[in-house]
Amino acid sequence: MPRSDGPEADAPRTGLTKADGSRTDGSDVPDASEVFGASGASGAELAVVDLAGVSVRYGSPKQPVTALEGVDLRIRAGEFAVLVGPSGCGKTSLLRVVAGFERPASGRARVRGALPRPGAGAGVVFQQPRLFPWRTVGGNLAFALARAGVPRADRPARIAGLLERVGLAETAGRRTWELSGGQQQRVALARALAAEPELLLMDEPFAALDALTRERLQEEVRALAGRLGTTVLFVTHSAEEAVLLGSRVLVMAAGPGRVVAELPVGLAREPDTDVSALRASPEFARLRGRLAGIMRG
Amino acid sequence: MLLAVWQAVVSAEVWPRVLVPSPGDVWRQFVLASTVHDGVRGYGGHLLVEHLGVSLGRIATGSAYAVLAGVPLGLLIGTVRPLAVVLEPVVTFLRTLPPLAYLSLLVIWFGIDEAPKIWLLVIAALPPIAAATAAAVRAVPGHLVEAARALGSGPTALLLSVRLPSALPEILTGVRIAVGVAYTSVVAAETVNGVPGIGGMIRDAQRYNQTALVIAGILAVGLSGIVLDALLRLVERTAVPWRGRT
Repeated sequence: MPRSDGPEADAPRTGLTKADGSRTDGSDVPDASEVFGASGASGAELAVVDLAGVSVRYGSPKQPVTALEGVDLRIRAGEFAVLVGPSGCGKTSLLRVVAGFERPASGRARVRGALPRPGAGAGVVFQQPRLFPWRTVGGNLAFALARAGVPRADRPARIAGLLERVGLAETAGRRTWELSGGQQQRVALARALAAEPELLLMDEPFAALDALTRERLQEEVRALAGRLGTTVLFVTHSAEEAVLLGSRVLVMAAGPGRVVAELPVGLAREPDTDVSALRASPEFARLRGRLAGIMRG
Repeated sequence: MLLAVWQAVVSAEVWPRVLVPSPGDVWRQFVLASTVHDGVRGYGGHLLVEHLGVSLGRIATGSAYAVLAGVPLGLLIGTVRPLAVVLEPVVTFLRTLPPLAYLSLLVIWFGIDEAPKIWLLVIAALPPIAAATAAAVRAVPGHLVEAARALGSGPTALLLSVRLPSALPEILTGVRIAVGVAYTSVVAAETVNGVPGIGGMIRDAQRYNQTALVIAGILAVGLSGIVLDALLRLVERTAVPWRGRT
């Protein structure tokens, strides 16, 4: 299946990018601000992610299943946007559109002004680590660096740096299956960061981990994104995770999948923020409660 | 235990000794074929080990060519649908043919030297490798392909760095089966002008009613086959240590 949509995805890209690249943001900003209120007003600069009226349908033409209907979404550089909602609300489909794995049935999707395409500058972390078992930990990172065009001679130093960044120094020679689930997900994160992407897409990356590991990784990803200035689109079904991580939380609802509400999160985001203190703060509890209320409808 | 039963049957003389030789007879032939005696070197001028070695060499050569041709062929069948429609029936056709059926043709085409023997082994060993490779490449987990695409892999990198290594465990199993097929075909390959060669030795011994030597030859083939399979299993374990771990 994937081999067939490679060329298909490539063919229309060049033409459409040029055709639509000349369009200014002006035409899209009013749409976005209608839906998101205040968020659109400050979006004068080019949005990293820009979706307008995006619909995604699965299944046969006779019995289409609508996963997403008319979704508008703009994410500005440096934002940590979280999509939250019940299972089946299309949040993963939305992320897959941004990643370039899914083409919208209708609507307009742009990432940094171009049609989204896998491997075109967005790092993706999935729910499962999806590491290549035939490669070592370092080999998995080398794969990503090779695809990003990093010269062979520079790779060992880059690998060491990446592993250091995710707290796994000295593991480059290890077999991936020798690592714990949490460690594997750290490697997956390092692999997604290898090409130094401007945009990081994370699809419930901590859902399969135990509570303690999850909390630790939440804190690390929060700090890492702040330190690197990476724009993040993060999918979760947990209100707590959404409020803790996101600078902005978008609530989705099912049937058909759409964005129904938005919650700006004003919690401290400085790199030296004490996240465990943040978890215990009344402001965090208030936001979490509010989000849970919105999610219940 | 088995030897005891065998010896008992022979002692009871249910069948004449020419048809069912005793374990002792087989052992004597084994020793005779393995030594230089009365100025005669083994059997037909070659020691049993040499016969076996020549056959193993043919099996190795045939299997190597089969790998070189079968893996790319399987990759093509597994990834290019229009080619699969044409090539897959051909592979299946080859796989169902008994080697003796095409030996005559190979002899007409390539004579009676090494060429027809190697060709026969290649034709016998290629289908299992191609079939295993095609099936394995098709079964490459989609989530790994997707992860590789997200990292910027184009079609070539996907094929060589994801599909091929991901398929490697099944490909190696295919190779192991193929070597087994080559093994069972080597006696057929050596029917014509097969000396030196364990198959040729067995054929000649049969022609002269040397039943004990035929049995000694069969035992040599079977035992070396077990050793070879164990070696291939070892290769499998060391080459694809991730098998069953993910």
